[in-house]
Amino acid sequence: MIAIQTGDVDIGALIAAAKKQGTGAIVVFDGVVRDDEITEMELEAYGDIALQELEKIARDATDQFRLLHVDIIHRIGRLLVGENILIIVVCAGHRPEAYAGSRYIIEEIKKGVPIWKKELTKEGGRWVHGEHMHGKPKTG
Amino acid sequence: MTVKIRFFAQFRELLGSDIITDAPAGTMFTSLITSVARKNPEGYAAIFDKNGAFYEFVILMKNGKRIDIADADKTVIADGDEIAVFPPVAGG
Repeated sequence: MIAIQTGDVDIGALIAAAKKQGTGAIVVFDGVVRDDEITEMELEAYGDIALQELEKIARDATDQFRLLHVDIIHRIGRLLVGENILIIVVCAGHRPEAYAGSRYIIEEIKKGVPIWKKELTKEGGRWVHGEHMHGKPKTG
Repeated sequence: MTVKIRFFAQFRELLGSDIITDAPAGTMFTSLITSVARKNPEGYAAIFDKNGAFYEFVILMKNGKRIDIADADKTVIADGDEIAVFPPVAGG
């Protein structure tokens, strides 16, 4: 499942559904709202475009790392500290491909998928600065 | 011709989103965004430097495809195009 949605997901159910024939390793990445002295986090996405880019990342990762199954669920809307933001489930025959595929997917998402986060505090809000500029790591 | 402009994140807060605007045929990407952004000085200043050029961190899209800032001056907008302008992404 590749999705951008407000609701949470049942990670256990995703893992159970991911076990395809030939599976030897499943890696789960769960990005959560960190308690950086914030009250909530608000996320927005360029809906259709962000979804298309997630689907392309999943296809590229599947081809590159011989993955058997990929789930990417990115949440939007208002989330509380500790809530899931991003769940990636990657399934492969062996652990090197599963770890590498999972790492590839999260780094590609951070590099270019049009999604933004705003940290809400008692004083107001602040947009989270992206780690990448036009697909290249920031320098300095 | 009619064009849809979408701003996101802090640009959306300053300039709005899903802006439907009329523009003359042959309008270029940069001139279209310049004219729309000028309606809010703070929004304009978030996107353009003092020379009127896009800040290098600004990301531009036309119909879901990225446009290099260097090409925005000569990218022609057509009727029905969807234009997007946004700051660096921060998903994940």
